[in-house]
Amino acid sequence: MQIDVDNSLTEKSKKQSRIIRIVIYVILCFLVLVYILPLLWIIMSAMKPNADFKSSPWALPSDFSSLADNFIFAWTKGRLGRATLNSFIVSTVTLIVSLIVGSMAAFSIAKLRWKYSKLVLTYFMIGMMIPIHCVLFSLYTQFASWHLTDSLVGLIIPYTAFSLPITIYIMTGFFESIPNELFEAAVIDGCSVPRLFVTVGLPMAKTGFMVTGLMSFVNNWNELLFAMVFISDDMKKTLPVSLTKFVGPHSTNYTQMFAGIVIAVIPTIIVYCIFANQIVEGLTAGAVKG
Amino acid sequence: MKKKKLLSLALTAVMSMSMLAGCNGGGAASTGGSTGGSSGGEQEITFMVWDDLEASSDLITQGYKQSVDRFNEDFKGKYHCRVISTNLEEYYTKLNAEVAAGNTPDVFIVSPGPNLNDYVLPGTAAKLDDYLNADGWKDTFTSDAVFAGGTYGAEAKDGAGIYAVPLNIAAACVFYNTEMFADAGAAVPKTYSELLDACKKLQDKGYTPITISAGTAWCLSMVAGYLCDRNGLNLQDLKDHKTDWMDAKVINAGKQIQELSQYFQPTAVSDDNDIATAAFYDGEAAILIQGSWAIGQINGNCAEGFADKVGVFAFPAVDGSSADPNRVIAKSDSLAMSSSSKNKDAAIQLIKYFVDDTAQKYTAEKGGKIPVTKVQYDESVAPPELSYVMDVFKNASATFGFYNESLADTEAGATFDSCFVEIFKGTDPAEALKPIQEYYESNVWK
Amino acid sequence: MDKLLRKKSNIILFLAPAFILFTAVLIVPIITAFYYSLCDYKIGLKPEFIGLKNYITMFTEDADMKTAFKNSLFFMIFSCVTQLLFGLILAALLTNIKKGRDFFKNVYYLPCVLSSAALGLMWYFIFSPKYGINKIAESLGWIEKADKGVLWLADTSGFIILPIIVISFVALWQYVGQSMMLYMAQISGISSDIYEAAAIDGCSKTQAFFKITLPLIKPMVATAMSLNAIGSLKFFDLIFSMIPEAMRGKGGKAHVLATVLYDQGLRYSKYGYACAIGVVLLIMCLIVTFLINKFVKTESDI
Repeated sequence: MQIDVDNSLTEKSKKQSRIIRIVIYVILCFLVLVYILPLLWIIMSAMKPNADFKSSPWALPSDFSSLADNFIFAWTKGRLGRATLNSFIVSTVTLIVSLIVGSMAAFSIAKLRWKYSKLVLTYFMIGMMIPIHCVLFSLYTQFASWHLTDSLVGLIIPYTAFSLPITIYIMTGFFESIPNELFEAAVIDGCSVPRLFVTVGLPMAKTGFMVTGLMSFVNNWNELLFAMVFISDDMKKTLPVSLTKFVGPHSTNYTQMFAGIVIAVIPTIIVYCIFANQIVEGLTAGAVKG
Repeated sequence: MKKKKLLSLALTAVMSMSMLAGCNGGGAASTGGSTGGSSGGEQEITFMVWDDLEASSDLITQGYKQSVDRFNEDFKGKYHCRVISTNLEEYYTKLNAEVAAGNTPDVFIVSPGPNLNDYVLPGTAAKLDDYLNADGWKDTFTSDAVFAGGTYGAEAKDGAGIYAVPLNIAAACVFYNTEMFADAGAAVPKTYSELLDACKKLQDKGYTPITISAGTAWCLSMVAGYLCDRNGLNLQDLKDHKTDWMDAKVINAGKQIQELSQYFQPTAVSDDNDIATAAFYDGEAAILIQGSWAIGQINGNCAEGFADKVGVFAFPAVDGSSADPNRVIAKSDSLAMSSSSKNKDAAIQLIKYFVDDTAQKYTAEKGGKIPVTKVQYDESVAPPELSYVMDVFKNASATFGFYNESLADTEAGATFDSCFVEIFKGTDPAEALKPIQEYYESNVWK
Repeated sequence: MDKLLRKKSNIILFLAPAFILFTAVLIVPIITAFYYSLCDYKIGLKPEFIGLKNYITMFTEDADMKTAFKNSLFFMIFSCVTQLLFGLILAALLTNIKKGRDFFKNVYYLPCVLSSAALGLMWYFIFSPKYGINKIAESLGWIEKADKGVLWLADTSGFIILPIIVISFVALWQYVGQSMMLYMAQISGISSDIYEAAAIDGCSKTQAFFKITLPLIKPMVATAMSLNAIGSLKFFDLIFSMIPEAMRGKGGKAHVLATVLYDQGLRYSKYGYACAIGVVLLIMCLIVTFLINKFVKTESDI
């Protein structure tokens, strides 16, 4: 009798949970459409002749005669290839430097013992709130006097500084969650602090690296205003700058513009697809250890 | 714990305050010449412009590229012109940053009016009289009047004189699709009421009578400027506070904008200039009120044969107004030279490549803008619209600037623009004009 | 152990690079900017000290700032609430499924890594009255003609105008993946032992979510929410690329704080005034962060 009730209950709840699971998948799939359709539309439109887009913007492309022209124009005249490379260099170098410098600072705040660590953390936090428009001109005049404008280094330095607060903030949290016992064991083995950081701290905070690294990379990849003011040379412009310039004052050829958008977006999607799984690995690794 | 955090926050704030005391505005004080890099004996001069010389389909921009290329060819090994280009919207941002950093480009393009003021009054732009008077350069220009926008009095830091060389003139005209007019039986209007009449006929035939952009404010304000002028508003009187923005002439212009707005395309309020003009080029609308740079775009962008369908007429008079109906809005792209340029002679040479016969012939024949020099160009090669614009321009009794570039400063111009966008959206003119009235009260009439 | 971790040289070695870089590139310019905010400073001219006049003008006379305060506060509240809600829901849903979890997560996070300039242009066309969703509505027969439909990015009626709401949703679309990731990172850090123990005690999954997951990810809620709040107060890119220029220019109804700052500083070259706006923005960010941390921490203390 007792057992019977239990069985029917679990069966019921199994059925229920299956329905719930289906509902969840329907919701998730619908959201996938919301995310993918606009991008598909742009890719589709970039393949059409301009006139076709104007007359029926949502129809599937049927005339591919302009496809090559659109992309070649965007690639060569818009200099988007070069710009993608520049953006990649700037974002990657910034990412590496800010992760190293930032996690060192975070480590010293979270694990080294000194009076003013909280105060220094707050000091760094102010950086997150500074609107970059506000420091644009002061910084530009300063960098110009150091001859750092119009070079990628001149972008990497401020980008690194802007990435530091968020890196330090999140990494501090990750270092704090590492149990002190781990460090104590290493110290007893005669480990110096820099070694402690490299051998114990860094591996334990892998998940943190993934999250902060991605965030700072994305921010710098998309940054427009600084890049626009700091770089004059067409060969050193980053992707967002070249893109806004390409769509320029008198452009009425929309499909060429869409080709530009597609060119700007596709490499990121590819790189993302490659790295996305590693991020996932990082997350699971963090879960196992945490 | 929480208190500690708050305390530390406050402490940091105090810290930064106290550091402030020892801080002077040294940031922008850095002075320095322009970038006179000397790589391999070739001196570099910089030229800054608001469109991408490589990618633009605008024929005037392509003409600029030719001038730069010719200069680089002729001075190979001696000078090289490096082009700094931005898109139009960010142009002054970038230029201001360069000026603030002491990197003013040797030569830069600029619109006469408040924008040019920003560079002439503090002495960023150089006085050009000596160069213009040498070798009879100035005599090659059509008249002294073309320099009006670049001429300053004693208010300039370096004294009265000419600070900018015009490259071309664009006159704001009414472009119309002759086929649609013929089909609707509409006549070319001479007066405002005739314009309404023509619009009505076009609309009855199922055409969109006027395409205009209120998303890009200066487009609508160009029409507003014409209406104000045709109603007899005098900007000098306004500046001297002999009249104000609540003047019946301005209110009337506002009411006329509202009256005309029923003939605009339904999306006027959100369309930007590109989209609005494209509607005319694509044959979706009958009338486009635009600067004559549109000719360069029509010939650079439009389908074969479209240019032959386009007619041009002067902005109509307002019935019953005593104002001169032959005044034309004109605008010239001008070049200024940095007063801190290390290669002034080379910079002047570069400017000369923009106003020599080759460049000016191109301006007229290909770009469709009115040349500024006495160059002879082949009228049969030039776009047909140019001759219509020239007719309008020759009949003009006087020219005046775009309103948003003729008011007290850039911000006043932008305020004027936005007031008329509000009026267009249906706000009562007297109510909608309050911001510009207040702006003048607190910033201009003091 | 303790001695080693207290050694001054180690602390300096680890902290110095970040501290010097951060101070030189961000703090020094912001202090300069603070000084400029007390000046009448136009580009090309010398700054002239005028005390608090810029601040007084900002709060009493400037109509654009009023619009900007309203819109920016709306943005902030909207993004804090919706990002928390949808970020959590997505994180909860995704941790509860096994098949395709990575796929869904990658898709939702995707817009975060794409250029806002490119996405802004894309959405601009999707909401453009001639080519975008209005055209779909037209072909479905919902409206008579595409260009007579709703002007998504230009309708200025109402207290919070439609374009601001539209852009709020686009921003949610673009950035909710970020919140989701942060929450998922935190949730996946929770030991599965706790859930197993709870399940044995007869705790349902929904109950487990509210009783175990939520309290344990509270620190991350504070982090994510602060990031959202600051991000939305400084919000600029999408407004800049999607809204017609007339509506974010002088007297425009779609101003946010960053666009006024941009206009005043870079377009009208009133740099001193722009710095004053920047300082106010900074103070607002400080206050909001403080409030969020206080609020969330207080709850978790209970």
